[in-house]
Amino acid sequence: MAKREVEEISAGSMADIAFLLLIFFLVTTTVEVDAGIGRTLPLKVDQPVDQEPIDIRERDILEIKANSQDQLLVEKKLTPIEDLEDIVRDYYTANIDTETNIDMPAYTKIDPTRCQTEILKYQTLVAENEENAAAQKELDSWRAKLELCQSLPTQQYSEISKMAIIRLENQAGTSYGLYIQIQNILKKVVNEQRVKYCTEIWDKDYFALDKQNLEDQEIIKKLRILVPERIIEAKIER
Amino acid sequence: MGRFNKGKKRGVPGVNTSALPDIIFMLLFFFMVATTMKEQDYLVEIDKPTANQALPIEDKDKIDFVYIGFPIDANQGTEPRIQLNDQLAPGPASVIPWKLGAVRPGMRAFDIPTSLKVHKDVGMRVVSDVKENLREIDAIKINYSADARD
Repeated sequence: MAKREVEEISAGSMADIAFLLLIFFLVTTTVEVDAGIGRTLPLKVDQPVDQEPIDIRERDILEIKANSQDQLLVEKKLTPIEDLEDIVRDYYTANIDTETNIDMPAYTKIDPTRCQTEILKYQTLVAENEENAAAQKELDSWRAKLELCQSLPTQQYSEISKMAIIRLENQAGTSYGLYIQIQNILKKVVNEQRVKYCTEIWDKDYFALDKQNLEDQEIIKKLRILVPERIIEAKIER
Repeated sequence: MGRFNKGKKRGVPGVNTSALPDIIFMLLFFFMVATTMKEQDYLVEIDKPTANQALPIEDKDKIDFVYIGFPIDANQGTEPRIQLNDQLAPGPASVIPWKLGAVRPGMRAFDIPTSLKVHKDVGMRVVSDVKENLREIDAIKINYSADARD
């Protein structure tokens, strides 16, 4: 019998097959990077009946209203969107060192002595009534502030008024594009301030902070106390 | 002297192409690993707003997407509609069962952020309604999707 040789399979077309696959992946894939502005909405809580009404001062609230024609009313004044950034920046920084503008939120100096006094005060309140969730919350926040003070080179910082709140109000026809523009400006000003503190105090790049890293987590927490971001959104009227 | 080989045998030798498939395969694997497939077919048209403060979403697998835009199918009207998974939702209240349905045991709706991909010309009414419904179930982590370029 003649010895039959098994013919070798030609691998010459392998490159073509691989090319086809390559082209398929090149065409089907989108290099779309998903980006966005992160926000945490306020939790839905039933207002406790016995809570005393909070004293809200006009100067602490920055009111931004956007109507269906995409016009802005900032603090009751018709304002072009280009001017909003400066107003928001002023809102955060006008009184940070010294009181310069009595229409903008006040700042108070927080130092370890102040923190300890407040901690003692709320400790007694919690000891009296363990169910007092509000006091417990205050206690925790003052403890965090004390820790912050101790980690600062100056041992103290200026804290924006607790009631400083940015209030957004939209109408049903306000465009989402305008809303994002407003959100972007608010984020920009807050980021600016946080970047500044982050370099001054910790000599780190704010945007390079790693959320998985424990040390960086602490810094993020402290930056949130230094530059709080308090936004409430009014319900759209029916 | 002068004995240069001028014979006809000279000529550029053919390039050995046997390593070509390997190179192509390497490219192929690179693209397969580095790229992401489009996660959903859009039933609504979405022209995202731009925001230069937008940051890339880190964990795309651990986030739910709500699409709000104008329906591509003309039979669906011209009013903005909400797309959940691959269907148009009847109304903003549909996000509650949709969001709760995606919650795996041991997790809460609170743990999974929701990305809102909304056309920039959509009115705030529907966006606000969606957000109110998400708040009802404590799904309060929101990401407003936007193009990061200036």
